Amino acid sequence: MRIEADYDRCEGHGQCEERAPEVFELDDDGNLVHHYEGRDLPAGLEDAARGAAAVCPVAALRVVETSPAPRT
Amino acid sequence: MTTVATAPHFDADIYTDQALREPYGHYRALRDLGPAVWLSAHDAYAVARYDDVKHVLATPEVFRSANGIALNEPANAAILGCTLASDGERHAHLRRIVAHRLTPRALRPMREVVTDAADALVADLVARGSFDAVGDLARALPLSIVPDFIGWPEEGREHLLRWAGANFDSFGPLNARTEAALPQCGEMAAYGARLVREGGVLPGSLGAGVLEARDGGEITDEQAMMLMLDYLAPSLDTTISAVGSAIWLFGAHPEQWDRLRAEPELVPNAVQEVVRLESPIRGFGRLAAQDTEIGGVAVPAGSRVLVLYASANRDERHFADPDRFDVARPDALEQLGFGFGEHGCAGQGLAKLEIAALLTALARTVRRFEVGAPERALNNLIRAFASVPVTVHAD
Ligand code: HEM
Ligand code: SF4
Repeated sequence: MRIEADYDRCEGHGQCEERAPEVFELDDDGNLVHHYEGRDLPAGLEDAARGAAAVCPVAALRVVETSPAPRT
Repeated sequence: MTTVATAPHFDADIYTDQALREPYGHYRALRDLGPAVWLSAHDAYAVARYDDVKHVLATPEVFRSANGIALNEPANAAILGCTLASDGERHAHLRRIVAHRLTPRALRPMREVVTDAADALVADLVARGSFDAVGDLARALPLSIVPDFIGWPEEGREHLLRWAGANFDSFGPLNARTEAALPQCGEMAAYGARLVREGGVLPGSLGAGVLEARDGGEITDEQAMMLMLDYLAPSLDTTISAVGSAIWLFGAHPEQWDRLRAEPELVPNAVQEVVRLESPIRGFGRLAAQDTEIGGVAVPAGSRVLVLYASANRDERHFADPDRFDVARPDALEQLGFGFGEHGCAGQGLAKLEIAALLTALARTVRRFEVGAPERALNNLIRAFASVPVTVHAD
């Protein structure tokens, strides 16, 4: 699972950071930093990341379900 | 979805004086009836459960705000074109202009202004001992900050609260409150139009930003006027309601006040909890643009949908023990009192800043709130007190 952030829509309310500080952070200028941009979240952070997407007040975070990496 | 159900009916008028005073019984009945319930008294589908409210707010292509916000045509026509009542690309364009100066980052310079004002106000009231938590506290802070911030000239400020209240009343069904309010909304619009025509907003303010956007060709005169209303109408009563409710709640739940004083880092969570439990805006409407369904209940194209944030926030399907006031509630952040998604409150950063500054200042010195008999203010949209007499006991 991944989270897609819409940076145009993000207004820096910071609620994602409160919920999942390991995944999202606001830098000193108040800009959103997404530590797992473009890649799958480790299993241990999935719930927190989902919670963060749910509490973004402007719905700037979208959960994208990806199939688990194929085992070879 | 395989089967689509027809909506159950609910016949009571949820805008009578009594219903506005005690809305939560009606909301529970609506939640228990189903995901979408036909309000025969108001020709609208009520959406009262948390998941369904969130679904409607997250699906703005289907549930439109233009011609949808109010439960009556004249009010919808009057606000058509403001950020609140626009959709899609047009909304995104206006929202960028409106929200730009209200983001937490843009508000940083305001932090000190708001904190200083809250500290001074609280010091004064604590010295007095007894005061009205609505008139002297909840109204005083936003009125000392917000009109300057928006840039409203001195002349006309005396009407702000009356106009803002009328604006919210006008969004209800066409009842006596709405009818009395509509002409006053006209006065506010005329004032906004004059500001756009003649200037006169304070330099460096949000209003000045709107006029710059107009001068730069980003928006038309008409849009500039609607944006002035976007700032004016929702920026006072909402915050005032939350502060009045907060004092009333802490008076009734001294153990929660003790907890907040012991752990002041809970203040932001407490603000969310107050907005959850006593949501200042009961609900806004939407217009279904196509045949759709809400939680498996059919909602035909052209239907009005009433999105009840205040009910979602007490939905026992989502919040544990939802009627309980708990400043440390772990999921208070999930409350929908500021709306959600594209139209999620643009001013929530400012509102949270103001409410948190007051609670923080009070927590430093006030040990107990002794609350007398409060009086409700009745408004179609806003849940608030007209007065909350209080005596504070300082350390
Ligand atoms: C406790 C205080 C407040 C509450 C509970 C509140 C609540 C809300 C809600 C529920 C909405 C969503 C509308 C929808 O779903 O259609 C909203 C939108 C909005 N609010 Fe607030 N509000 C508050 C304070 C403020 C303040 C202080 C301002 C301005 C400085 C403000 C400006 C706005 C604007 C401009 C919108 C329209 C956003 C859009 O449509 O994109 N609000 N508010
Ligand atoms: S909660 Fe949403 S708006 Fe706020 S910083 Fe995170 S992504 Fe941006």
